[in-house]
Amino acid sequence: MINLRVRPVDAKHIRISGIEPFLANCLQGLGEVLEQRDSPKARERLFPNPTTADDKANAEWQRLITPEMRHLFVSAGETVARDLTALQPEKPETGCLQVTFPAEHVNAWMSALNQARLILGELFSVTEKDMNATDLDVHSEKTLAVVRIHLLGYLLQLFVELESGESEERADE
Amino acid sequence: MAEPGIIQIEETKTKEELDVPWNVVVYNDPINLMSYVTMVFQRVFGYPREKAEKLMLEVHHKGRSLVWSGGCEQAEHYVHQLQSYQLLAQMEKSSA
Repeated sequence: MINLRVRPVDAKHIRISGIEPFLANCLQGLGEVLEQRDSPKARERLFPNPTTADDKANAEWQRLITPEMRHLFVSAGETVARDLTALQPEKPETGCLQVTFPAEHVNAWMSALNQARLILGELFSVTEKDMNATDLDVHSEKTLAVVRIHLLGYLLQLFVELESGESEERADE
Repeated sequence: MAEPGIIQIEETKTKEELDVPWNVVVYNDPINLMSYVTMVFQRVFGYPREKAEKLMLEVHHKGRSLVWSGGCEQAEHYVHQLQSYQLLAQMEKSSA
């Protein structure tokens, strides 16, 4: 992941470069993960109640706010899926891939990456201990989920740095 | 009961007094990045980075942090915003 970068190409475009094959595979599997957002565990995490005690307010929220929020989340996933159709090998050939997309899609990318991480976390009941584990059982599906959460998190971190102005480098054309 | 000749004036309360303060609370979860949570606090509340980081660390170490207090409608708005960023946020009536 040492070559992974998220940088502006110009004022209107962002490029993710240095995407290694395993991360590319994770990104291409984003849609499949995001489709699990309506599974009971993921739904509870992505669309929590606004209060702990007010059943009436919670019911109203779930009726009025949750559909709007779900639409926002679905829309972010669709934007990223469209952007990912432009995923292509870097030139000159490095064994990595890159993708360039409109700068206005940055929030959609952060939303989709974070949704996918949270959904994987819920589906595999990932705990803080799992996230910090170093003795990984490579044959377990949960381990694979944790690795995917970390990889997508690494990419999300680069987006956060971009948004915080900590990544001011510009990608070469 | 009122005594004859004494006019009783009912105690009135201002809108602010009637509007019991609500707390917006963010809970820890094992997945959200610390840097991401800090960024969200800066974006949603306009907090300076130092304050946003302090609140994020409180969420991380104590399991929850009271990130804002005020009127009910504004609290709802903030919970909506925080949940839109996929933070575990809820509002509760202030006990103070």
